[in-house]
Parts: sequence; C-alpha cells; structure tokens
Amino acid sequence: MTSKRSNIAPLAWQVSTLLAVLVAWQWAAVTNPTTHLPPLQLIFTRYLDLLWGDLLWSAVAPSILRLLIGFSIAVLFGAVLGIVIGSLRWFEPFLRPVIEYLRFIPAVAVLPAALLVFGATDTMRIFVIAFGSVFPVLLAAIDGARRAEELLTDVARICGLSTAERLFRVTLPAASPLIFAGIRIALSIALVMMVISELIAADNGLGYYILRSQRLFQTANVYAGVLMIGTIGLVLTLFLLTFEKRVLAWHRGWRGLSNTKSA
Amino acid sequence: MQPIICVEGVTKAYNESAPILQDVTFKVEPGQFTAVVGPSGCGKTTLLRCIASLMQPDTGSVLHRGQQFKEPPSWLSIVFQDYNRSLFPWLTVRKNVAFGLRDKNGRAERVLAALRSVGLEHAADLYPWQLSGGMQQRCALARSIVVTPQLLLLDEPFASVDAQTRTDLQDMVMDICRRMSLSALLVTHDIDEAVFMADKVVVLSTRPARVVEEIEINLPRSRDQLSTKESPEFLHLRHRVYTLVRQQAHKSTIVASTDRT
Repeated sequence: MTSKRSNIAPLAWQVSTLLAVLVAWQWAAVTNPTTHLPPLQLIFTRYLDLLWGDLLWSAVAPSILRLLIGFSIAVLFGAVLGIVIGSLRWFEPFLRPVIEYLRFIPAVAVLPAALLVFGATDTMRIFVIAFGSVFPVLLAAIDGARRAEELLTDVARICGLSTAERLFRVTLPAASPLIFAGIRIALSIALVMMVISELIAADNGLGYYILRSQRLFQTANVYAGVLMIGTIGLVLTLFLLTFEKRVLAWHRGWRGLSNTKSA
Repeated sequence: MQPIICVEGVTKAYNESAPILQDVTFKVEPGQFTAVVGPSGCGKTTLLRCIASLMQPDTGSVLHRGQQFKEPPSWLSIVFQDYNRSLFPWLTVRKNVAFGLRDKNGRAERVLAALRSVGLEHAADLYPWQLSGGMQQRCALARSIVVTPQLLLLDEPFASVDAQTRTDLQDMVMDICRRMSLSALLVTHDIDEAVFMADKVVVLSTRPARVVEEIEINLPRSRDQLSTKESPEFLHLRHRVYTLVRQQAHKSTIVASTDRT
C-alpha cells in the first residue's frame, strides 16, 4: 500500500506541476492578450502543422536528416578514429595536444569558415553538426581503448586475431560503455549545431522556420518550432537509451556485480 | 620425435641493469606435463610470455619441433591466472569459448564438446560474471582446449580460486590432458601442485631466473589427491623441490640485505 502510494505520488506531482504551468500560461494569455504570449491552442495547432502538415517536409524533415547524417558521421568517425588512436599507445601522446586544442573551439566559431569553404549548402550544415559532436565521442573512444584490458588483447593474439580484428572484436566492445557516454553528450551538441547552422543563409529546416516566424512576428510558430526541437531531442535520446540498454546489458550486470563485490 | 617446445638459452631484460631471464634452457616432450616452479617474482610469467611468443626474448630461441615461430601459434593456447580479466565480459560463456575458433564448420558442436569436458554445458548462455570463480576458470579452460592445441600453457591457473575448487580443477586439467594427449606447461609457485600434476618439474632460480635443476616425477600417472599426496615417493620429491626453491628464496633475501648495506 505504502509503496504503491510512493510510486504514484511523484508522478502526480510531475503531472500537476506541468498542468499548473500550462494553466498559468493560458490564464495569462487570455486575461492579458499580447503578441508574445499566444494562447495554448494556437501553439498546439502550429505544433501539429509541424508534426504532420506541409511543414513536416519543409521544416522538420530537412533538420532531422541533417542532424542524423552529421551525428552519424561524428559517431562513426569519432569511435573508429578514437579506437585506433587509443590503441597506438606510443602515438597518442603526440596527437593529444592537437585534439585537446581542437575540442575547445566552439563549433559555432567554425561556422563562418565552413560557410566560406562549403557555401550555404547542406554539406556545410552537416559538417558543422559533425564537427561539434565528434569530440565527445572521439575522446571517450580514446580513453576507452586505453583502458581496455591488456590481458584480453593477449587472449585475442593467442586466438590468432589480426590487429584489425582485435580492434573491432576486443577494443571496441571494451570501450563501448565509455563511447556511449560520449555519444549521449554528442547528441545534445548535434542538436544545438543543427539549429544554429540553419539560422544562417538557410531556406528550410527548423532553425530557418523559427527565425522566419520571429521576423514575421508569428510568435505561436516560434514556440511550436522550439517545442518541436525539444521533441526531436527527446525522441532521439529515448532511441539512444533503448539501443544502449540492449548493447550494454552485459556492462550493467558486470558493473553491478563488481560494485556489490567491492561493497 | 622432436620436443613440443625447446627453450634454448633464453635471456630477457626489461632494462639492462635488471635481467629477468638468464640463459633459460629446457624442453617439453610430446605428451609430457611439465611444471615450472621458482620463488615468487622470479620471472615465470615472463618466461611463459616468451614461450607463447607474446614477447620476444633478447637472446636465445624457442623452438617448436625444431622450428622457430614469431607470432602466437595456433597449436598453443593459454589459461591465465586472472579469469575475471581474461574472459570477455560482453560475451556469453558459449561465445567466449567460440572466440578462438576460426573454422565455422562444426563450431557449435566443438564448443559444446569443450563445455561438456569442463562440465559447463548448462551455463553456456550465462555471462562470465554470473559464474563463480571456479566456473569462470573452467570457461577459460574450455576456450583453450576447443582449438585442440598441442600445448597447453597454464599461468598460475589455480592461484585465484579456493582450495576445494583448486583440487577439482587440478584433477580436471590432468584428466583433459590425458584424454586429449596434450602436452602442458604449468607455471606455478605451489610446489605440491607442481609435483602432484607434473611428469617433470623445472626449478628456476631467483632473479635473473635460470634453470637450477630438472626433476623427473616418476609417480604413477593415475594420480589421486589423497593416496598420491600421502605416498612416500611424493613426499620425497616434494621435499627435494621444496629445498631447492627455499635455497633460492633464501639467496634472494641475502642478496636483498647485502644490497641494502
């Protein structure tokens, strides 16, 4: 009885907090109508336009596509390069300063340069997204590869695996818990870079949609666009967590066990 | 028939002032169970890594049936001491055992046969970390015999398990070696274990390790934890090996104390 109540109570609080915010918004919008405080139903209608109206193809789809391509490039490139760099123990110290320097450059600062090099193209936007999100993955993969158990590498050598096979069958899985932690950080950066890259010289995408709506004083559209970006982030994170839960099931069990052992 | 392994004048040093192995020479004959004992820290594991070609000796050579080899060869497999660091935590027991099998043909059957010979067929789909220490080491053992090697290298394989499990594993390893007619090279600091399991005990000196003496163990091959270990021959051999190892350990303390003065 008590446990049931304690399970329901937080959910009830969460729902009522959300409701309170919505009610307060709506009350303010109705009693004091201004352009920057549109009523909820208007925002919701615009949001639905984005979800399955024409805007899905002109605003949401291009954004998601750029995000997925840029983010996938970052994950693949970061993981593979990181594993290789981390495994070359003598080489890593030479490369470290360069990587540490590059990762402190905010991807936003690279945007004008990317615009010069690639022009106002999808390639430029994808590049900026990938550049921004590659470093958490790259650094995590380097660290993960360096921490991989050397004895496992010995086992793989005894089993006659080539260097490339060792990297993919031993170092990569051993580093995967850290890589996934990097990927989660990378996703939020990719989302930021997606929006920013679409604020400059764009003619489609969510960033462009929000910017244009703001210039036309279509406040409800701006809010709907912002909500849509939040939705994309949430859905992608949920996908990622589900995938991670499956791939890293062994790690939770293993870590959980070693924790209880040490305790 | 040429020896399975012929270690000839192997010397190894990580830095010039402190050599680990000094002119180590001995043989492992086909079907023979050889044990290498020595004071702790004398370089047994380094020797084993040189034999497995996981590292190259500075001078001297390791020959297999008269031939040199550079990479870890397929006719050899190793069981390491640290089972919880040598098994892949992301693979099930079955996949851990299958890891070293290149040939897809009959892979499932071979894995199952290996698991059966270590009594782990019921745990095939569990992860290593779900098993007890002894079971994990049996999984490592299954992985090393599934490739049907000619030589089994055992690096203190029973050092991290409890006493009861240790004797069970000893019996299991001896039984497997006999059934598969494997040659084995056991590195251990446990003198009882060495004398009980081996046909020949190689005693190493303190650092830098060289072979002090090779002792043939002429105990009958069907060995029993109780009757063999109580037999006068066993006690006599154990005494001999023990004395040699203790002399070496004593020497190292003298060297250490003269170093200090």
